[in-house]
Amino acid sequence: MEGPPTRGGLNGTLSGRMSALAAPSPPATPSFAAALAEMAVPLLLLDAAGTITFANACAAALLACPAPAGLPLPALLAACGAAEPEGGILPEALRAAWPVRSRLTLGDRLVEAALAPLSSGGFALTFEDVTELLRGAALARQEPLTGLCNRVGLHDRLDAALAEAAHSDAPLAVLMLDLDRFKAVNDTLGHPVGDALLRKVAERLRKATRSGDVVARLGGDEFAIIQGGPSSGAEQPQAAEALARRLVDLVGRTYVVDGHMLNVGVSVGVALSPADGRNADDLLKHADLALYRAKAEGRGTYRFFEPAMNAQMQARRSLEIDLRRALALKQFDLAFQPQIQLETGQVVGFEALLRWNHPERGPVSPALFIPLAEEIGLIVGIGEWALRTACREAAGWTQPASIAVNLSPVQFRGGRLVETVMHVLAQTGLDPARLELEITEGALLENTDSVLDVLNGLRALGVKISMDDFGTGYSSLSYLQKFPFDKIKIDQSFVRGMEGNAECGAIVRAIARLGASLGMRTTAEGVETATQLDAIRAEGCTEVQGYLTGRPMPAAQAAALLIPSPAALPADAA
Amino acid sequence: MSQPVPTQDSGNQASPNKDLRRLVYYSRNRVTGAPAAMDETIRGILAASRTNNARVGVTGALMFNAGCFAQVLEGPGAEVETTFERIQQDERHGEVSLLAFEAVESRLFTDWSMAYVGASPTDAARYGDMAGESGFDLSRMTGDRLCAVLHGLALEEEAAAA
Repeated sequence: MEGPPTRGGLNGTLSGRMSALAAPSPPATPSFAAALAEMAVPLLLLDAAGTITFANACAAALLACPAPAGLPLPALLAACGAAEPEGGILPEALRAAWPVRSRLTLGDRLVEAALAPLSSGGFALTFEDVTELLRGAALARQEPLTGLCNRVGLHDRLDAALAEAAHSDAPLAVLMLDLDRFKAVNDTLGHPVGDALLRKVAERLRKATRSGDVVARLGGDEFAIIQGGPSSGAEQPQAAEALARRLVDLVGRTYVVDGHMLNVGVSVGVALSPADGRNADDLLKHADLALYRAKAEGRGTYRFFEPAMNAQMQARRSLEIDLRRALALKQFDLAFQPQIQLETGQVVGFEALLRWNHPERGPVSPALFIPLAEEIGLIVGIGEWALRTACREAAGWTQPASIAVNLSPVQFRGGRLVETVMHVLAQTGLDPARLELEITEGALLENTDSVLDVLNGLRALGVKISMDDFGTGYSSLSYLQKFPFDKIKIDQSFVRGMEGNAECGAIVRAIARLGASLGMRTTAEGVETATQLDAIRAEGCTEVQGYLTGRPMPAAQAAALLIPSPAALPADAA
Repeated sequence: MSQPVPTQDSGNQASPNKDLRRLVYYSRNRVTGAPAAMDETIRGILAASRTNNARVGVTGALMFNAGCFAQVLEGPGAEVETTFERIQQDERHGEVSLLAFEAVESRLFTDWSMAYVGASPTDAARYGDMAGESGFDLSRMTGDRLCAVLHGLALEEEAAAA
């Protein structure tokens, strides 16, 4: 049966061959031959030996070859400059008559070729231009602000690098980076400045790395770098350490953005393959643990992953789980430590100290759980509980002694502190003048102005404000100038050092005089011996608190201490 | 405390050059080794600075010695920022202290100049002619308070590095 005439451009011999192919089909319009010749998919037909017998218009246009018929496939591909970057699998598939898909580069296009052996003998070879598809996929792996890889892209590249490294046993490093103090830039200067800063950071990261390294932005102020791989010849861990050190230096240098001088730092965690993991998930997780350590140990530095970090993180996670339910399970308690007025020897107040008694762990050190509670934000709820409990307790005392409660810097951030204190005072009926809130310099380090606003709000409620751990921070004196504290509590390290260390004595004396001249009371903390007490008295402090004059005690005992005639100092100390 | 510090913008709207900015920094010189390395670096910086900075209207002065670089950059704000960012990425120096980035009404340096500032006789002999060649005028520096401070710092850094 004769096929219908083909349109111009395809010659008669082809249409003759086409007729065989179209034989079983009914003579109807549209014809198969015309469809094959004109359809939008590039199509080649090949005989069993791999020689082109037919090319439709689309294929001729794609291959930029007007008359491919008669050419063997490899010759055609060579003639039109098509290459199989992954190795020539098409010729082999032709020989074996296997179906195969192969990706070709064709000039600046990427083309996917699908070879299908036909039941009637020979092959059909179709092409699909996947350039845009791949470009889209590449964009999906790119982070738009900086043009760096995103998390998906990093994962892909890491998988590929690990697969390659597995053959050669070449070491590879993953560095996780987190900017220090970036949030402050965004908060104070706005997102446009923050974004411009991130672009500059990205540029410095590119500059600090080699061309084979991968730099990714994982979101926010988190970045990651894959260093090395078989081709880099980098010796690990030396290369990773050198890079980490350079990153801390370069990223930490001052930026000038939009007329603003900005300072951020970077913390870096490093994990190495194969030592710290052979798959992407493990490496990223371990680099993250090392980063966590770098941040915990002062920021602006780098740490390598150590297996112990896993165990420590497990322990921390378990502590966190327990801590999250400790409040609901009523595992917290307050202990009250007396504060003695030196002039009269009377108990004039107590400091409420938070205690956590876990049924299995036993008493957990505040030095352990308070930083964790601050880090995960639980301190706000715990602090509120402590405040309410302490105020309720003090409201029941027979004498109007003062009650000191510690505030965490974190409690200043929520914007609800003044309201909370006001509610607690109203609920418990405690005279605001009896409440002393203790803050450390840590509270004033960030956003000093907004913290000062809160302090003034608290002061307006009638409560007293004390500066705790005085002398251990950075710039105590400037804070004394910024806010009229009611009381300065001299850090126990100075008090303990007074015996046998003239400098400590001089510091205590200076603080006591400073307090006197600023109209602030001074409490010496951590007094343990009679000699220290005598020295404290001689230096002119107004109050004292320590094991010598009273250990932290349960609420009932504290209340009882206030019932009889004024409690005197121990006989040897009075 | 290392909070981000917004600069004081004293931009004078009446000034004809209201986007003119002056940036002043000093940094530790990390070029070590043979004098030849230092020599190559210094000449390279001068050549690069002349071509790059002239194109974007940034002028200034660079003082250097074995201890430090001390530099004044003047020009349109955005161009000074770009130039400074390039300088920040340069690992031939470190511990960069940015002393000022401020709006100014006029330039102290209308060209690009460079000078060895120090007490070392060897280096003075080596780089002494550079100031003359590049038109460096120390009196301009010492005339401005901040630049005078910079000059003093440069001398101290050399002494510290010695």
